[in-house]
Amino acid sequence: ADAAQQFQYAVRVIGSNFAPTVERDEFLVAEKIKKELVRQRREADAALFSELYRKLSSQGILKNKWSILYLLLSLSEDPRKQSNKVSSYATLFAQALPRDAHSTPYYYARPQSLPLNYQDRSAQSAQSSGSIGSSGISSINLYALNGPTPTPQSLLPGQSYQAPGVGDCLRQQLGSRLAWTLTASQPSLQNTTSKGFSNPVSRGVPRSRRDGDTSGSVEITEANLVRDVLYVFQGIDGKTIKMCNSENCYKVEGKVSLSKSLRDTTSRLAELGWLHNKIRKYTDQRSLDRAFGLVGQSFCAALHQELKEYYRLLSVLHSQLQLEDDQGVNLGLESSLTLRRLLVWTYDPKIRLKTLAALVDHCQGRKGGELASAVHAYTKTGDPYMRSLVQHILGLVSHPVLNFLYRWIYDGELEDTYHEFFVASDPTVKTDRLWHDKYTLRKSMIPSFITMEQSKKVLLIGKSINFLHQVCHDQTPSTKMIAVAKSTESSKDAADLFTDLENAFQEKIDAAYFETSKYLLDVLNKKYNLLEHMQAMRRYLLLGQGDFIRHLMDLLKPELARPATTLYQHNLTGILETAVRATNAQFDNPEILKRLDVRLLEVSPGDTGWDVFSLDYHVDGPIATVFTRECMSHYLRVFNFLWRAKRMEYILTDIWKGHMCNAKLLKSMPELSGVLHQCHVLASEMVHFIHQMQYYITFEVLECSWDELWNKVQQAQDLDHIIAAHEVFLDTIIARCLLDSDSRVLLNQLRAVFDQIIELQNAQDAMYRAALEELQLRLQFEERKKQRELEGKWGVTAAEDEEENKRVKEFQDSIPKMCSQLRILTHFYQGIVQQFLVLLTTSSDESLRFLSFRLDFNEHYKAREPRLRVSLGTRGRRSSHM
Amino acid sequence: MFKIILYILMAEFPVATRVLFEISRILNTGLDMETLSICVRLCEQGINPEALSSVIKELRKATEALKAAENMTG
Repeated sequence: ADAAQQFQYAVRVIGSNFAPTVERDEFLVAEKIKKELVRQRREADAALFSELYRKLSSQGILKNKWSILYLLLSLSEDPRKQSNKVSSYATLFAQALPRDAHSTPYYYARPQSLPLNYQDRSAQSAQSSGSIGSSGISSINLYALNGPTPTPQSLLPGQSYQAPGVGDCLRQQLGSRLAWTLTASQPSLQNTTSKGFSNPVSRGVPRSRRDGDTSGSVEITEANLVRDVLYVFQGIDGKTIKMCNSENCYKVEGKVSLSKSLRDTTSRLAELGWLHNKIRKYTDQRSLDRAFGLVGQSFCAALHQELKEYYRLLSVLHSQLQLEDDQGVNLGLESSLTLRRLLVWTYDPKIRLKTLAALVDHCQGRKGGELASAVHAYTKTGDPYMRSLVQHILGLVSHPVLNFLYRWIYDGELEDTYHEFFVASDPTVKTDRLWHDKYTLRKSMIPSFITMEQSKKVLLIGKSINFLHQVCHDQTPSTKMIAVAKSTESSKDAADLFTDLENAFQEKIDAAYFETSKYLLDVLNKKYNLLEHMQAMRRYLLLGQGDFIRHLMDLLKPELARPATTLYQHNLTGILETAVRATNAQFDNPEILKRLDVRLLEVSPGDTGWDVFSLDYHVDGPIATVFTRECMSHYLRVFNFLWRAKRMEYILTDIWKGHMCNAKLLKSMPELSGVLHQCHVLASEMVHFIHQMQYYITFEVLECSWDELWNKVQQAQDLDHIIAAHEVFLDTIIARCLLDSDSRVLLNQLRAVFDQIIELQNAQDAMYRAALEELQLRLQFEERKKQRELEGKWGVTAAEDEEENKRVKEFQDSIPKMCSQLRILTHFYQGIVQQFLVLLTTSSDESLRFLSFRLDFNEHYKAREPRLRVSLGTRGRRSSHM
Repeated sequence: MFKIILYILMAEFPVATRVLFEISRILNTGLDMETLSICVRLCEQGINPEALSSVIKELRKATEALKAAENMTG
């Protein structure tokens, strides 16, 4: 009687005041506890409490920590006070609570079930065959959640449960109990507390009703099937429905006689259990796999959540079953659980489980971005129910991917231990190759909801940030970038991705891309003067600064004529500096001038200085990313070519100078006029040729490509654009300067032409020397003659005259030799030029073909070369085989 | 199969329960493990701790009274 009263009172008190007077701050409560302990002069205990509190705070299961702490505080007693041991409440509540004690506002479900079971229990206390079950169960119950009823005696050992069959019953009890416990384990589950109340007790006699049914008969009633099916739903084999591994399905045992319809319905329901098993197996396997990665883990967590919902349903069904058990069969068929009812109620869950199982199948063996793509593939279904489910899972799954992404584009950090993100970093690459080699796209991991273009942009953004940090040593993000980074990720963003707010994601990426690239380009241009260096390369390496190059050549001419082995670098550097100081180059940026240098190439035997001389330009740091080593070697090759061409021009100028100077002088030797004339003609042919070549190189090749490059660079949005434009520039130049591998033949021809020019120079020099010498001698002779005449002697003696004539004769004989030499030279030269022209017209590059027009503008060569006479095709190109 | 369900359950609670039991021992509340776990569940369900503690104190008093009565009579 007392117990009942107490119970009533307790419930009343608890129900009365809901709002606590103390504020819900667990930290405050913890502090209070500590103070109390210190007040009792138990400092060690206070420290211990702090430790325990820390441990408690670190685990997140309990939500209302403050309330339990407050409870403990209010119940705490000073150990100095006289404390009498509080005995277990079992004695107080050992008697059954009478019936009317339970009629309280909280109990609106099954009030009769409690007393019924108590009486039953007392009647059956004799049998103790189920003792195994009870001891096992009581140990579980310490951790299992029971409803808050004052019935701890269900936990007492010694009380035994009626257990018809040991093994099966144990399992079933455990199964049902666990199903219950799973239900009540949702802390937010307020609505099933009512059902939970009757849990522990009603469980006590689950099978007493069934005894009569199962003893000895083979007839399986629908009720039994229903029970079994409920276990199958969880993947536990029932009494008659067992998992058949060979066929991978649940089957009713064959020897049991069952009508076909029942059998069919049962197998349909058993499918649910099969689906459940599949999903469970996947999540269990994956949870053991350490290398599964964050995406996979979130996927398993999502699946786990869904399974929990499923268990919830099962426990509802179970409770319904128990209700029937306890009430007996007198409830009638309207509210009983039949297979048909089960079918209807499990229809929705079945669809869900099917979707999940299909997802699991599809995602076997995948991880990271691949997994996200696989899940995304499943959102493309017309069924709205399935789609919402898969989208929800997709949102959870893609959350880690989006985390990676945002960290990458805002901080440039990549912490991806399981290789799930689609940006891969190669740790072996050093900083000088950071831009080109360090970061690559892992294409398999790109989720299908992120396009290739977006992922390329993402890669670029992170790369730029890392580049800024490591190569440019610039740690400050621009203010706009900070603002953008502030609106960081939330789980809402994942949902945004897939709804119509996809543009938000694209905008984020675009904004980050724009800002980062702009900042990077700013840094490169202002701090490292990238564009200025580019212009400097043009001026010096590509012979843009005309006066400087001319002067340099003037100064270097005597040096370079020597054999290559006698050249010293420091001499040449000195000459270089003189040239710089004397021309406009001195007004250039000193930063640029100090990078300019002389480089001597490798010396092969027989080389003169001309063959080994080269200018060089030093690059380092971030500039080296644009001007890589290959780029620099390209520049040097082009320089070499341009330098040679310039040298030819120079030589021809010398020849022309010689012509002009000596023509007047040699007018008195009319026999030379033929030779001289031939010389002049040849020289002017060569001059024309070289002029055209120079024009071609300077304007068609260099200026046009440079203009293109400059435009692109000015409009570039990021560093990749600049690098690409620069490479295109270099490639074009190399192709058009005949330096690439396709034009090797052409280049050889050109070299041959150059050689001929040198030959002419040599020949002409020799000829002039001889002629001038001859002239000198004749003049001397005349001088002497005049002198002697003045002195009154014979102007010339016969012998001298003889001698003179002989010599003159000799000279005049040598003239035809010179003539023929020149003629050979001319012939040779013209042959080479013609071949060159033929090759030009068959080349694939348009500008080269136009060069052939210019070279042959008056069809001088065409007249001689039959091959050139064939008219050109529609596109100005002759076919290469004729 | 249900072993795994078991593990999930066991994994969820023992740390917290042990820690709370230690705390209650330090504070000398006189609650044993079972009662403590029941109280924890009650608090998790959202019950007012003040009310609950007053109820427990009442029940203790009642127990004392009963025991005293038994001792006197028995």
